[in-house]
Amino acid sequence: MAAATKTDAATFEVVKNSLYAVAAEMKVVLAKTAYSPILKAAGDYSCGVFDDRGEMVAQGPDLPIHLGSMPDAVRAVVRAWEEIEPGDVFVHNDPYFGGSHLPDVNVVSPAFVDGALLGFCCVRAHWPDIGSATPGSYGAVTDIYGEGLRLPPVRIHRGGVVNRDVEDMIFANVRTPDERRGDLRAQIAANRRASERLAALAGKYGAGTLRRIMQEVMDYSEAMMRTLLRDIPDGEGAFEDFCDGDGIAGSHQDETFDIRLRIIKQGDGVRVDFEGSDPQVAGPMNAPLSVTASGVFAALKMVIDSAGVVPPNSGAWRPVKVLAPEGSVVNAQYPAPVVYANHEMSHRICDMVFGALAVLVPDRVMACSQGTSAVLTLGGTDYRTGERYVSYETIKGGFGARPDRDGISAVASGISNTMNTPVELIEMSFPVRVESYELRPDSGGAGRWRGGLGTRRTWRILERDAHAAVCCERTKSPPFGIEGGAAGAPARISVVDPDGTERLLNSKGSFEAPAGALVVFDVPGSGGYGPPAERDPARLREDLADGYVTPEGARRDYDAAALDALSGTRPGARLSVRAPELSAAPAVPSADPHRP
Amino acid sequence: MGWRIGVDIGGTFTDVAVLDEESGRAGIAKVPTTPRDFGAAVVDGIGAAMRDHGIGPESVSLVSHATTVVTNALLEEKGADIALIATEGFRDVLELRRSARADLYDLFQNAPAVLVPRRRRFELRERIDAQGEVVTPLDEAGLDAVVARIHELGVEAVAVCLMFSFLNDAHERRVGDRLRAALPGLPVFLSSEVLPEIREFERTSTTAVCAYVGPVLASYLDRLEGALAGLGLPSLYVMGSNGGVFDVPEALKMPAAVVESGPAAGVIAAQRMGRQLGRPNLISFDMGGTTAKASLIENGRIETTSDYEVGGEGNVGRWLHGTGHPIRVPVIDLAEVSAGGGSIAWLDPGGALRVGPQSAGAEPGPACYRQGGARPTVTDANVVLGYLSRKHLLGGRLPIDAAASEMAIRKHIADPLGQDVAQAAAGILRVVNNSMAEALRIVSVERGHDAREFSLAAFGGAGPVHAAALAEELGIAEVIVPPIPGGFSALGLVATDLRRDYARTFYARIDEADPRVLDQRLGELEAAARAMLRNAGLPEADCAIERSADCRYARQAYELTAPLGLGPVTHALLEALADAFHERHLRTYGHKNPDEPVQMVNIRVTATGRLPGVAFHADAEAPPAAGEPQREVWWFGEPVRCPVIARGALPAGAEGHPGPIIVEEMDCTTVVPPGWRARRDEHGFILVTRSA
Repeated sequence: MAAATKTDAATFEVVKNSLYAVAAEMKVVLAKTAYSPILKAAGDYSCGVFDDRGEMVAQGPDLPIHLGSMPDAVRAVVRAWEEIEPGDVFVHNDPYFGGSHLPDVNVVSPAFVDGALLGFCCVRAHWPDIGSATPGSYGAVTDIYGEGLRLPPVRIHRGGVVNRDVEDMIFANVRTPDERRGDLRAQIAANRRASERLAALAGKYGAGTLRRIMQEVMDYSEAMMRTLLRDIPDGEGAFEDFCDGDGIAGSHQDETFDIRLRIIKQGDGVRVDFEGSDPQVAGPMNAPLSVTASGVFAALKMVIDSAGVVPPNSGAWRPVKVLAPEGSVVNAQYPAPVVYANHEMSHRICDMVFGALAVLVPDRVMACSQGTSAVLTLGGTDYRTGERYVSYETIKGGFGARPDRDGISAVASGISNTMNTPVELIEMSFPVRVESYELRPDSGGAGRWRGGLGTRRTWRILERDAHAAVCCERTKSPPFGIEGGAAGAPARISVVDPDGTERLLNSKGSFEAPAGALVVFDVPGSGGYGPPAERDPARLREDLADGYVTPEGARRDYDAAALDALSGTRPGARLSVRAPELSAAPAVPSADPHRP
Repeated sequence: MGWRIGVDIGGTFTDVAVLDEESGRAGIAKVPTTPRDFGAAVVDGIGAAMRDHGIGPESVSLVSHATTVVTNALLEEKGADIALIATEGFRDVLELRRSARADLYDLFQNAPAVLVPRRRRFELRERIDAQGEVVTPLDEAGLDAVVARIHELGVEAVAVCLMFSFLNDAHERRVGDRLRAALPGLPVFLSSEVLPEIREFERTSTTAVCAYVGPVLASYLDRLEGALAGLGLPSLYVMGSNGGVFDVPEALKMPAAVVESGPAAGVIAAQRMGRQLGRPNLISFDMGGTTAKASLIENGRIETTSDYEVGGEGNVGRWLHGTGHPIRVPVIDLAEVSAGGGSIAWLDPGGALRVGPQSAGAEPGPACYRQGGARPTVTDANVVLGYLSRKHLLGGRLPIDAAASEMAIRKHIADPLGQDVAQAAAGILRVVNNSMAEALRIVSVERGHDAREFSLAAFGGAGPVHAAALAEELGIAEVIVPPIPGGFSALGLVATDLRRDYARTFYARIDEADPRVLDQRLGELEAAARAMLRNAGLPEADCAIERSADCRYARQAYELTAPLGLGPVTHALLEALADAFHERHLRTYGHKNPDEPVQMVNIRVTATGRLPGVAFHADAEAPPAAGEPQREVWWFGEPVRCPVIARGALPAGAEGHPGPIIVEEMDCTTVVPPGWRARRDEHGFILVTRSA
């Protein structure tokens, strides 16, 4: 096989690994010094090394949600500023200028060698608050102005000196500014570490060689990706699904809306077209095209490059074209609000790509996962200290069933990989008591391979009322099964008021949680793979013994007769009766058999 | 004075090291490991070592042991059947973990293993809040029912982890008392005894690991102690993951603390060597057949970490959490990479040259062993370039087929890349050296240390072959190769101290902490530490207590451990702690924020019982390797005739012998490149230094 690079193979491998080590080291510095729980404990951030044009050369072991949009983060700075000097630091967050949603704050620093610009380092980190009327900046609003502080690329340090004008303006517009200062300091420290490492690499290999290898690393990823794409049979797959709503009550009453995609795979390239998707909606469920692309890239990488041999960078995605009608929910235009879509839409698209590819490569796709980041924010005053607080948590559900194994319970899926926050840390930090955090029996979609289970987490609000907001999907559109597998259990969010009455909440928007109330969040399970009737009875028996499936659930989702006969079956035997067909297969597979 | 015996069980061989306390003379006996009953090889090996060195049982002063029993039980999922008791609403904590997946893109990854199946996880109605107050009293009737059910199940051990038990252990103690009364003899592990620290998942996991491996460890150590007593030997000590040894009852109280027993021994050996040679700053580099491990020793001190996972699938990467079981006990901080002599070289679909993580191991082995291996390995590259003998290794016992090495590299690497075999072999070494340099960087540069201020201690069968190249890469000026490099780790077992760590959560801002309360908490830990030392029967003068605290800026999530002085806790002592923390933060992350409040999270007490110091000494009479006087070795792309010298023949003068040379001995080869020189010091260590 011809080498794809000009540098000798060993030097290339060494320098490539070093560039990725730089990105990984940035993560360590950020996580260990950041202040907000979402960064330090949950890990909601990404790091990258870029060339002097803003192309991404190396991305850290980061969240897949930033695969598509990180490359735009530095290009925005390159476009906006001509004169860039050593010691400069830029900050921006605007989705209409290279950002993803306002809470994701990009900090960009140039790296110089001998007075010449070598490239950039960038840390994108999710700040738990970026202003707006709602603590956590997750309100259901109707334009980008309502979502918080917009920052086009601005210079926050100039020649190593902080620009207080900009800093003061930022910290006057966000809640808990002390915490934000710590986060910003951590982002800058991570960039500083990366710049030092890049300068050392240039010193060792020569700036010219390093620049050349930075380009070759991207070419290499492109070549790898094309090679792997040739292994996928040519053809077309399509899928459609609908979202729960945009969080805006009123004339539209938080209506559902549709997304459609076609994947056309030919040779060593692939095109993903969202023609036919609904126009952008009033509430913040509109995805900028780069967010849509993140969902596409995350799923493609899992199908094509499951072993993770292609280094993630701008080159990797050259063979993939993502097309979406301007002004649609998957290609939002200014000034549409976007905050929910960043994760809710990219989750959705990631799952839909699996659905569409099932036609071409059924043995390399998974059933639909939880399909939501299941965000709960709580804000108010801590009765113990009198201080204001904002808590931001994301709760995990099921990871879809696979062609040869069950799904995984309670783990991040698709575009997400953030961690939960330990209950004991939550209760130390915020005036709530978590009363349960547990698996939801029967929430994994039935199938030859069962979907992963979702979870339930409940919070008792203590002493003082809290202002809360929720952002979730798949309350109305349960995570679909694949190849005949059943859907996982949908999400459900409610508040049990102190008098015992339960209020069911919509999937998105803010709500009041009075002192003494219990917030109950049921996060979806995932879809099953293959017909439930083909489930190995021995596995079903184990599921029953562990309570992952209840006897009632087994009767409903598998087959009553078979279940009753279970005690007599041998391990490895198959159920002999077939489950009822879910529906006739539609021409375009859809997540919902009742919505052709 | 007498002899110390150390036993290190490896995948292929069980190494028994003996050390004469008086002369420092060391010896090694190697016997094949007996996987079905590890104790058999231990007894065999000890017998062989005692015979070889004429050691009588009455002259043995210490027997210490690095055991893989705990790690294997977890890796092979062969621990005990256990039950778990949790607070109502939280029986799934162990399975819910921290909810991040181990691999971002692997569609076919497995769910992490769960040590206690859901059917054996029980809930109790009770609750303690974040202030340590009881908000729901313990439901005694519910407890009765759980105890009865556990009795019925016939489990082998029970783990108990209730919410906030690290603040208030009343409920856990009550549960423990009831279980112990109702089910005498059944091991019960309470999280408030095992790990009184915040974070429910990590605490539950550590407690469950103890219960899961406790019964296995107990029966193993029981059998072994019996066998050793039969030989007339003294009672056994076990090496902990923290690098110290403790006695069997201590090990059974805290089985999770003996997880990384073996690798710890190598780092300890390097530390003792540094002490002996006056090299307080060392990076230990241990390279075997499948992995290479690096660890940093600064000012004679070993770093430990409490962020560790055992078992599960790969967790080499320093960032993503793996699929193993977290244990929050101090483990020697080492970076391990899949790079060893047996690591296989291959080309990926993009045409890049890769090495590992697959290894040919001992079976089928590198191509040059002619034992069935056909894929090119790191060892094959070393043979092709002449760094290793093209004729035989292990003092002539292992014949080498250099033509097989060449063929493997030509077919799989050189021809596809359009290179010649020597070029391809050099490429393999550059790639593997880079990944090992990465491990060295993780423990040094990334932790804020300048590698150039350290010497490199190279051991393990392959370490001294690659060490000088790595030193060159990191700007390190000196490589030290100890006696018996291949079995050096086992020497750590005979050269260590008694050591046991105690910790508990103490959650307070330093500027707001009540010195009297802190004094009392520290006193409780110190009492346990002193009791352990007293039981070991060491003279008071050899016992030491050290204190430290895990601290962070109030809003951070990760702590750094800073030293806390001895004596009564005063405001001055606390200020010194805060200053020490700021400095560590500056050194580790490049900035500090002295205006910010510092939060204490855990307090730690370490008890050390110093055993009499020893000095290593190489056997001067070691026979020169049965090698050739010189051979063709490749440097900078050119073959050069290069002298091959037996270790015993290396000059001892300050001048030494200029490189390039190859130094051979029974179980190891040391490569000295051009621009470096090598000499033997008075203890028989090889010192390889950059020529001025």
